[in-house]
Parts: sequence; C-alpha cells; structure tokens
Amino acid sequence: MADQRIEGYARGFFEIARGEGQLERVENELLTIARTFETARELRSSLTDPQLPLDRKQGVIDQLLGGRAAALTVGLIQLLVSQNRVTDLPDIAIAVASVAAASREKELAEVRSAVPLDDATIERLTAALARATGKQVEVKVILDPAVIGGIVARVGDTVIDGSIAKRVDSVRQAVRSN
Amino acid sequence: MHPSTFILATTEGGESSGVELLLPAWPELIAGIIAFSLVFFFVWRWVWPSLSKTIETRQGAIAGELTAAEKAKAEAESLRADYQAQLANARAEASRIVEEARKSAEQIRADIIAKAEVEAEQIRARAREEAAGEKARALAEAKSQVGDIAIELASKIVGEALDEEKHKALIDRYLADLEKI
Repeated sequence: MADQRIEGYARGFFEIARGEGQLERVENELLTIARTFETARELRSSLTDPQLPLDRKQGVIDQLLGGRAAALTVGLIQLLVSQNRVTDLPDIAIAVASVAAASREKELAEVRSAVPLDDATIERLTAALARATGKQVEVKVILDPAVIGGIVARVGDTVIDGSIAKRVDSVRQAVRSN
Repeated sequence: MHPSTFILATTEGGESSGVELLLPAWPELIAGIIAFSLVFFFVWRWVWPSLSKTIETRQGAIAGELTAAEKAKAEAESLRADYQAQLANARAEASRIVEEARKSAEQIRADIIAKAEVEAEQIRARAREEAAGEKARALAEAKSQVGDIAIELASKIVGEALDEEKHKALIDRYLADLEKI
C-alpha cells in the first residue's frame, strides 16, 4: 500500500518535472531536501506535528527553500506537506530518481557517503558499479554522516557496503552475540 | 320425743301383762308370716335374680375395664420403651453424625492446608524462577547497552578521527575493491 503510494507520487512528480523540463534539477533537489529532512529531527517533528496548522508548516517550507530550490520542487514538497505525507519524502525522492534514471535507460545507483565525492571519483564509481552489476548505472550521491566513512552503494536490490558504519555494525553484532 | 308423750304411753301399757305386750296376737302373727312369705318369695324369685344379674354385669364390666386399663398401661409401657429406644438410637445417630462431620471437617482442613502449602511452594518457586530470569535479562540488557554505548563512542571517535585524506583513502579502497568484482 505504502509502496504503491510512493510509486504513484514518484511517477507523478517525475512526469510533472519532465513536463516542466526541470527533471534533473528537481530530482537532485528532492534528494538533497530529503536528506535534510532525514537528519534534521526538529524540522521533521514540526512538519509532522498534527497540532501545527498547515499554513504554518507551509510557511516553514517556504522559509527554508524559498529562493534556494526550484519553485516546482518547493511546490511538490508543499503538496506532500498538505497531504500529510512528508514522512514519505525520502522514499519518494529515491523513487523519483529511480524513475528518472529508468527514463534514461539507466539504473539508479544510490550512493551514500559521509563526504562529498569529486567528479573523477563519481566517474570511477559509475564505471565500477556498471561492471560489477552489469547494468548501465546513474550515480546519485547522498551525503549521509551515518555512513561515518567509506561508501554504501545500492543498485536495485544489490547493496555494496564498504562503510565504516557497516564495520561498526558487525562489531556491534559480535558484542551482542557474546 | 316429748317426755310427756312417753309418760302417756307408759300409763296406757300398764293396763296389760309384760309378755303379752311383746308377742302379737296369733292371727296377726299368721297374717304376718304369710305376708312375709309372700314378700320373701317375691324378692327371692324376681328381685334377687335381677339384682344379682345387674351386679354380675357391672362386675364383668369393671373387670373388662380393668383388663383394658391393664392392657393400655402395658401398651403405654411398651410405647414408652420403644420411644426410649428410638431416642437412644437417635442420640447415638446424632453423635455419630457429629463425629463424622468433625472427622470430615478435620480431613478437609488437613487437605486445605496441604494444598495451600503446595501452592505456596509453587508460587515461591515461580517467584524464584522469575527473579532469576529477570536478573539474567537485566544483566543481558546491561551488557548489550554497555556494548552499544562503547561502540557508539568508538564510532564517534572513529568518525571524528577521519580527516579528508583518510576519507579519500577509504573511498579509494572501496573503489579498488569494487573494480576487482
């Protein structure tokens, strides 16, 4: 149900952005904003607070994004806020990127890193992921401090995790099982 | 009797001799004898038998009543004896019932106490088990929390220790590994 809804929103957003000729900008902005939404706990709780009236929430969005993001992106996020679906934003952003990549006959490679990657690294990564998965991939880098260090790449259902977070996690599992 | 009357009679009798005064005259005697015999015969023939018959009947009746009374008394006596026997039986029965009730009450009391003791022991055992389980859980929880905290701290320290160069090295190693696939 939720998956279907996210897919629906993603397809809608994708079609609108493509129709407006702002597909790439909108999909990148959605990913960035989704990342912000994931990390900023206060923002998230105020946007999902049922006590807070809708116009206040939309005011917060306008204040944060107005002038910095495309008007279309802001409008799409306002739509999510008004539908009380803003918690789905991260999933929708990924889904939009995935649909957009598919429209270019590529597979989305969702790459999470703690630090920004330079173009040369992204190129190398694209080539290596394409070879490893046997698919044409389109890398989208998402800055995620939770990775700590290294990279997590996800292509479809395949996850190639080379992060410090994963190593920390395996140590955690080892400690727990003792 | 007035004294003057007596004196008058004495003066009248004084006209004849003493014996003549006592004996009646012959015709009077004969008539008297006949009359007496008539009366005697009458009494002997009718009055006496009917009288004696009446007496006999009364006597029979009295005897019958006496017998009946005796019988009634005997019956009453036997009834009383029966009643007393029954009373004794009833008393014995009652005391038997009381004794049985007492015994069964005693039994029930003993049973209840035994059961309560068993239950108390079960509760104690359960409480001990639960306490032990709780302790084990708390220990495990504490252990895992300590581990988590330690790892959290370690990962924070690692994250802070990572400078640009080390990040780059990590990414390069990732790429190198990926290119080997």
